[in-house]
Amino acid sequence: MAEYFPQPAQQQIYSLNLGPQHPSTHGVLRVLLTLDGEYVLEADPIIGYGHRGHEKMGENRTYLQFMPNASRMDYLSGLLYNHGFCLAVEKLAGIDPPERAKYIRVICAELNRISSHLLWFGTFLMDLGAFTPFLYCFDDRENILDILDRVSGSRLTYSYCRFGGVSRDVDEVFVEQTRAFIKRLRSRWPDYHNLVTKNVIFIHRVRDVGIIDKDLARRFGVTGPNLRAAGVAFDMRKVEPYEVYDRFDFEIPTGTKGDALDRYRVRLEEMEQSCRIIEQALDQMPAGPYRQERVRLKVKPPRGEVYFAFESARGQTAYYLVSDGSPYPYRVHVRVPSFGNLHCLTDVLKETLVADAIAILGSIDIVVPEIDR
Amino acid sequence: MAAKDEALQRIRELLGEGALTADPDFRTGVSWTITCPRESLVAVMRIFEECGFYLESLTGLDFQDTLEFVYHMNTYEPRARMAVRVLCPHDGEIPSVSGVFSSALWQEREAWEFFGVRFSGHPDLRHLLLPEDADFHPLRKDFGTVHAYRKREEVYG
Repeated sequence: MAEYFPQPAQQQIYSLNLGPQHPSTHGVLRVLLTLDGEYVLEADPIIGYGHRGHEKMGENRTYLQFMPNASRMDYLSGLLYNHGFCLAVEKLAGIDPPERAKYIRVICAELNRISSHLLWFGTFLMDLGAFTPFLYCFDDRENILDILDRVSGSRLTYSYCRFGGVSRDVDEVFVEQTRAFIKRLRSRWPDYHNLVTKNVIFIHRVRDVGIIDKDLARRFGVTGPNLRAAGVAFDMRKVEPYEVYDRFDFEIPTGTKGDALDRYRVRLEEMEQSCRIIEQALDQMPAGPYRQERVRLKVKPPRGEVYFAFESARGQTAYYLVSDGSPYPYRVHVRVPSFGNLHCLTDVLKETLVADAIAILGSIDIVVPEIDR
Repeated sequence: MAAKDEALQRIRELLGEGALTADPDFRTGVSWTITCPRESLVAVMRIFEECGFYLESLTGLDFQDTLEFVYHMNTYEPRARMAVRVLCPHDGEIPSVSGVFSSALWQEREAWEFFGVRFSGHPDLRHLLLPEDADFHPLRKDFGTVHAYRKREEVYG
């Protein structure tokens, strides 16, 4: 990694806008860079282009009406957000869904996590100049979208969960398709590792680049794979097990240094762990009802509040709901992981090369509409 | 000693036993709630910082009689989350904690533009999500359509 040595005599400081419409910013994000030649001195991410006011929308609609908003924040892991919101309201209102529904939700949520990581894999490598992996992983991802499309009716912005269950039951075909997909994905790992992980150009682009260590992560509230790459085994599915995650045997992959290569390894390993969870869930899934019939459409939780944290594809996400006893939430707040993950770039991008800045931005896996809310 | 117990003990010494409320069942998703006066906020945050916590979320609630800001603190231990709640009048100011947690730099910018409460001591209080020329505070209940605007005791009483 090239180091920055300021040479005052030749210094030419200038500002450059990276974005707001740039392929590597993954959405409408502008980063105001202050540069000295090819080196970044200051980076100021400017966000808010996609602000839709989801939190305000929550204040004038019922809990069920807010449900489709949830998956439109982070559109790449919509089902995880949908699932999390459903769990938060269920916790607030004291609804207990049937066992089968819990398993269906976990399977679908983990499929969505894999599809989100696959998309990150493709776009990250495309940022680094490798076009082919993008085509491979979109091919894999297409399978997941087809499976979820069949059960939930949508391919991207899912609204599959309902308070007390899911909207539709899954059948034998779903189980078969999911098993076939996992088999297929596992047969792809050797390809991915041979083509990318062992690729010398790739390694030189990401090793020792953009180090987010434990201390920096804590100061900026970085969570998810970016934190785990720094060696902290912190995953909501393990530390605060929700749904049925405590019944599965899976590991939390961690890195050591917290550079872009570690973040890449952690995410790749996480996909394999998600496969393990899905397999176990398919084996254990009981028969029975998929939805609690007695739940009213207009859920009316008692007065009080709940702060419900779960693990989305990008890190620790949380819904903070305050109820005044009416069918309308008094306040909906969403803690989004990409917010902290992007904020730490003001520190990480200092004194890196512009080319590395692109690699770092790709490696932290941000979704801008999630930050803007 | 676990980070959580150490932080609790030091906060108890600072604010007294009456400021803490336990939630052993984790029903609301936090293990302890700390009611903190505005002037002690930075001291409490410094304790959290020294005990290895991070600022997970910062948000506000608008009631007819007061604004309330909730800081959710967490550390890398199971069920360690704590909430720090600060009351503030609608035209008041809150001390900035951005000197303790860097993540507050953005979170306070967001809270300021949405609730219209200045964070005194914040080095760079610019708009974050709203346009540069926004002169309104959208998450106040008198902005836009909301279902209800209540007094604090109607929700928490």
